[in-house]
Amino acid sequence: MLVDFELIERAQKGDAAAFNEVVTAYRKRIMGVVTRLIARPEDVEDVAQEVFLRLYYSLDQLRTAQVFEPWLYRLTVNAAYDYLRKQRRRQEFRMSDLSEQQVMMADAAAGGRVEHNEQQQKKIRESVDSLLGAVSEADRILLMLKEVEGLSLKELEKIYKVNENALKVRLFRARQRVLKAFAASAKREQTS
Amino acid sequence: MYSSEHSNDEKLDALFRAFQAACPDRDPSVSFMPGVWQRIEARRRFTFSFHHMANGFVTAAVALTIVLGVYMSLPHTKASPNSPISYLEALADANTLDTPEIVGPVRLDLSESVQ
Repeated sequence: MLVDFELIERAQKGDAAAFNEVVTAYRKRIMGVVTRLIARPEDVEDVAQEVFLRLYYSLDQLRTAQVFEPWLYRLTVNAAYDYLRKQRRRQEFRMSDLSEQQVMMADAAAGGRVEHNEQQQKKIRESVDSLLGAVSEADRILLMLKEVEGLSLKELEKIYKVNENALKVRLFRARQRVLKAFAASAKREQTS
Repeated sequence: MYSSEHSNDEKLDALFRAFQAACPDRDPSVSFMPGVWQRIEARRRFTFSFHHMANGFVTAAVALTIVLGVYMSLPHTKASPNSPISYLEALADANTLDTPEIVGPVRLDLSESVQ
């Protein structure tokens, strides 16, 4: 926890200063999570503000301060999900979406040769964004939380309120779909 | 086949790691907090005006109901003598209820059944 339970309780009672402190403590982390969930830096601040807006109006529904972090994650996941659904930029998954460049990028990443300049980072973000077009918005977020955010199944269970086995199955299927897309792209690159 | 799948698995993991590095936690802009409060205020204003409007609507509906109730409960005065009588009144005058052809009791002719 980045803040005391007492501070959250004060914010729950409508203390604006306490709410400000909570936002200040969590905004960087939430912006990072949102960045990785939506992969579009230009909209990150907007989505993160939406998260804290929802937090402000739902704090009174929080049963206990102990579950604040999973609660905040849930709000973040929901805001990111709503954003992705609104965007609808990812149309039906097409093989042509995966360029040879993506496969080269993955090879380079595996070999530890990726130069982390802005241009490279942008390409990586676009590659992953495109690869994740193979799964639904909900699965994309779940996969990101597990694979990129590194959340454990226990933590995911608290966020989604779904049992561990169901999460495992869903994660496995989502990963398989992304892998299949990745493999198809790699195969295409080999044949060309 | 297996090694190819395994290799793709590893590559995907590497890509995710690279993605994480490409999306580090970043500091929000200076307008972040004011932006959050602006949104909170905007939502509050909207909720307030909606609440206000809903209250006004409910008050108007209650007032209208009371007015209609009072109006309906008042005894209606008879039309002025100069006004023509209504169709129903005319019909009632022409055919009184005791007119047998219209609504009189059914008369059974028992003479045939006795025979």
